[in-house]
Amino acid sequence: MELRKVRRLASVLIASQLRSGRSTSDPTSWLGRPAILAVADVGLFLVAFGALTAAIHGSTTSTAVWRSVVVGLLPLAPLAAVGVVLIAGTSFELMSSAKFASSDAANWMPILPREYVAASVTAIAFTYSPAIALVLGGIAPLAFAAGLGGAYVVAAVLSALALFEGALLVEMVRALSNRASSIGSGRRGTATVVLRAVLLIVVIVLLDLALNPLILIQFVNSLTGLPAIVGLVPLFWSSSALTSALGGHVLDAVAFVGAQVAFVALLAVVAGDLRKRYWVPVPVEVRLSEHRYAEGHPWLAGLGLSSSESAIVGKDLRGFVRRREMLPLLVIPIVLVVLLAVEGSGFGRFGLLIWVGWVAGFFGLLLAATSVGQERRGLQILFSFPVSARSVFRAKAAGALIPVLVGVVAMAVGVGLFFRFSVVDLVTGLVLALVAAVVLVLWGLVFASRYSDFQDRPRPQFVRPGPMIAATFSGIVILSAIVVPGAYAIAAPSAASVDFGLAATGIALAAGTIAFFLARSGFDRLFRELPF
Amino acid sequence: MVALPSSAPGPATGSAALRVEAVSKSYGFTRALIDVSFSVGPGEIVGLLGPNGAGKSTAMKAVLGLVRPEAGRIAVFGQDVQSDPVAIRRQIGYVPETPSLYEFLTGAEYLDFVADMYDLPAETRRQRIPPFLAGLELAGHENSLISSYSQGMRQKIALIAGLLHHPRLLVLDEPLNGLDPRAARVVKDVVRDRATREGAGVLFSTHVLEIAQAMCDRIVILDHGSVLASGTVAALRERAGLAGSGLEEVFLALTGTGDLGDVVAALAR
Repeated sequence: MELRKVRRLASVLIASQLRSGRSTSDPTSWLGRPAILAVADVGLFLVAFGALTAAIHGSTTSTAVWRSVVVGLLPLAPLAAVGVVLIAGTSFELMSSAKFASSDAANWMPILPREYVAASVTAIAFTYSPAIALVLGGIAPLAFAAGLGGAYVVAAVLSALALFEGALLVEMVRALSNRASSIGSGRRGTATVVLRAVLLIVVIVLLDLALNPLILIQFVNSLTGLPAIVGLVPLFWSSSALTSALGGHVLDAVAFVGAQVAFVALLAVVAGDLRKRYWVPVPVEVRLSEHRYAEGHPWLAGLGLSSSESAIVGKDLRGFVRRREMLPLLVIPIVLVVLLAVEGSGFGRFGLLIWVGWVAGFFGLLLAATSVGQERRGLQILFSFPVSARSVFRAKAAGALIPVLVGVVAMAVGVGLFFRFSVVDLVTGLVLALVAAVVLVLWGLVFASRYSDFQDRPRPQFVRPGPMIAATFSGIVILSAIVVPGAYAIAAPSAASVDFGLAATGIALAAGTIAFFLARSGFDRLFRELPF
Repeated sequence: MVALPSSAPGPATGSAALRVEAVSKSYGFTRALIDVSFSVGPGEIVGLLGPNGAGKSTAMKAVLGLVRPEAGRIAVFGQDVQSDPVAIRRQIGYVPETPSLYEFLTGAEYLDFVADMYDLPAETRRQRIPPFLAGLELAGHENSLISSYSQGMRQKIALIAGLLHHPRLLVLDEPLNGLDPRAARVVKDVVRDRATREGAGVLFSTHVLEIAQAMCDRIVILDHGSVLASGTVAALRERAGLAGSGLEEVFLALTGTGDLGDVVAALAR
């Protein structure tokens, strides 16, 4: 292995990560250079170190208290490192376009697969290292104040190891991701596409739930009580080593550290083998069922859409379930509903209604806001067809509303039955959710028509970052203004209910009307000239 | 010639299929088109040639109304392209330089999508699409996702999409990119057939000058956004003072890149 090549390739991969999500790609900007990560590491470490040092000096807390805090925090550091890399790295890989996950850009050069793996892992680890620098910078003053400097150094080393452990797992996902369809036992057809989508959704949901900080803290607190189980999970061996060391069980600690190092070495071998196997990725050929050429979609035509509008909606719906970069949009409502099922019993009727309306509106906002940016360079195709801006507006609105409305009806009925709503509450709750969804879809289209991002990036963003933040915040304000008084009117029938109901209706009508005209004019403007 | 679907109306008569008059377009400080004028008659194949960055693709996008010129006028069969873009595009078949296809659709689904855009009845698409797929050797691949297609297969799908509705004006930006010799021959024959039998006007951009010389009735050479020369190959030869030469020599002479000896010598070192 030639370290010079690894270092050079790693710096290119880091630069690629840094520049992938930015609107401007000025190659001379220092923000796009790998050195910025080292600056961020040092800067964040010093900021956290300084802040905590100042806090300790101004505090009268005893060393014993600091010691108990550090004993609780130190095992979290390596867990946080592997968690950050796994969640952020895996999400990135699952959302990115398939072509950016392969080694095509380098596999024709005189580079070995294991050199590529070393470079890729180094790049991933360094990309996410600033988060760990912040954590370690915050713990350092506490550890030294508690007289646990030695344990801190071990924790820092294990955290660095954990960064590479997480990076190796992400690299394995990256190598495998182009073969995701063939994982489904080589099956062909629609079932494979659905299976792939379900598998990826499950991975994201499990990662997001399993590596939730609150659950992690709960888990670390229970580390001492569950040594047998923890001992079987390699990802927790570093934390177990630190817990053992802090508890005075030096031999156990050494054994866990040894096992952790061996596990990382094993991962490196496996990652190298996987990359070697998929060094020249074979395009996955998914064959769908035989196609019978026919006009449009009769059920969409039944909704009053023209042939071309139906075709755009049909195309968008297919893309919704087939494109890997669309998966986060599917996952967000699923995660919200899962959380509702877990925590919903404590919400009360008022809270549940707000939650249902909020999920409906937020899902609609996301789908609509990203609906135009999804076209990417394909927008040029739409431009070249005999289809007007108004038609595209109607199609995009329908394309976002249909999955949202189906989801809203299913969710509202599910929630109503699960939490035993009355029929009146169920119907009015459903109406509230539908109204919220329609208004927020229109609001999302305002941003889609004006601020979409059509660049072909590794990390698709569909809408430019600033406007997306504005869309989210303004959307939440509008949603709250509709859903809160609406839910109150339904959940607490009283003389004031009518007033709250009228207020919600008035706000929905006003916001919907404004959004409709802004979105329509936005589409008119967008279709005046190709924006790239 | 490979048998591909063809209707047989006679050549259209009357106004030019395409008339570009004194068109200018800038992107920021870059002047992509400067006072460009040319025309394409019904049944005529006009080659649009020029070095990289000469403005060929911008000119073609302007014809479709994808970009709006700051000055000048573009008319398709006498109708201004900005007056009713939807009606104009219905008459045009366009193949972009780099086709951006929807990769999550199969080839068949994409062609059905295109057919929906042009309101083609089911019977018509069943008559036209399978022969195209067979003629371009895509039959058997039409139910695979476009994401698994090679560059040539994507180009073939883009070509079928552009020809499917039998447009009266074909705007083809490097249409033979990535095609194997057989497919390239099929496409050339179909384009020539559309021009001669259906009277379709064809605006054809290519960097392969042998193809331009063999296919085009007239040539328009763009350079730095301006029309450098236009006319038949014979007229261009005469203008360049290179009687008996091929189009390559004529093109290099007219664009001022004729003496490449120093470049070749430098590259040979």
